[in-house]
Amino acid sequence: MRIEKCYFCSTSVYPGHGSAFVRNDAKVFRFCTSKCHKNFKMKRNPRKVRWTKAFRKAAGKEMTIDSTIDFEKRRNIPVRYDRELVQTTLKVMKRVSEIKKRRELAFWKNRMALSRDKHRAHRKKVLEAAKSSAVNKLLKPTTASPEASKIREKVKVPSKARSALVQGEGRSMGMDID
Amino acid sequence: MGRLRRSRVHNARRDVHRAARTRVRGRDLDQIQMLDLDPKRRAELEAQPLDFEKPGLAQHYCVECAKYYETDAALTSHWRGKVHKRRCKQLKEPAYTIEESERAAGLGRETRKPTLTTAMIVEDEVPVT
Repeated sequence: MRIEKCYFCSTSVYPGHGSAFVRNDAKVFRFCTSKCHKNFKMKRNPRKVRWTKAFRKAAGKEMTIDSTIDFEKRRNIPVRYDRELVQTTLKVMKRVSEIKKRRELAFWKNRMALSRDKHRAHRKKVLEAAKSSAVNKLLKPTTASPEASKIREKVKVPSKARSALVQGEGRSMGMDID
Repeated sequence: MGRLRRSRVHNARRDVHRAARTRVRGRDLDQIQMLDLDPKRRAELEAQPLDFEKPGLAQHYCVECAKYYETDAALTSHWRGKVHKRRCKQLKEPAYTIEESERAAGLGRETRKPTLTTAMIVEDEVPVT
């Protein structure tokens, strides 16, 4: 028995569930639901659809580099049944999921703290701007020269979306917990 | 007799449905990026033998958009157009693949060579923190 992953949203697809599309080069695309299948048919990029796992990871909303993630693997070599091995594996699975849960919480808290600071700074800036503009209005009503407002500064905005999943993009989340 | 047909049942979905059929599925971005854009393959695609089934006898092919054109003029005007430029932009960033979907799910691939002794396998499976 093998649990596959959905091509679009990366959830687990259990045997007997979901559907698959086989492209004419024998690549198998698995889908958990018709929703994912339809989105695939629309040729949407999962990296740009906000509810997918790929988006969340690429946008840095979830942990990408962590030792607890590395346990789940596609193993193509069968392992001979061993009672002790199964027992220890089950024990370890519980422990790892415990650790993973804790780390995810820590990551989330860290992320939220950062965003809170950012949000606060932004609000402060907006408030300051509003205040200064109000004061300016009171001091000199309707004396703004049209030429002064015309000069616009060109700001370069990085347009390329960088994915944390692709190696060597220079964007990975460092974490030091535990 | 009055009107029997219900009103407001017409949806302009026909063309959307038709475009989404499997038989009209064109080449995907990852296929184009990994295979077609290779210079050797590109040259092959641009100089195809006469094919009576294809538009323009398969003589005017746009590799990026995976599309045949009737004439050379149509192809060059397509290269100047928005659709082609948008496609080129899409092809610049790495395409989404099945491997990436698995990586996003946290499913890795085992790259190590198979070990023969069971003791080694036990070590592989259970690195307790």
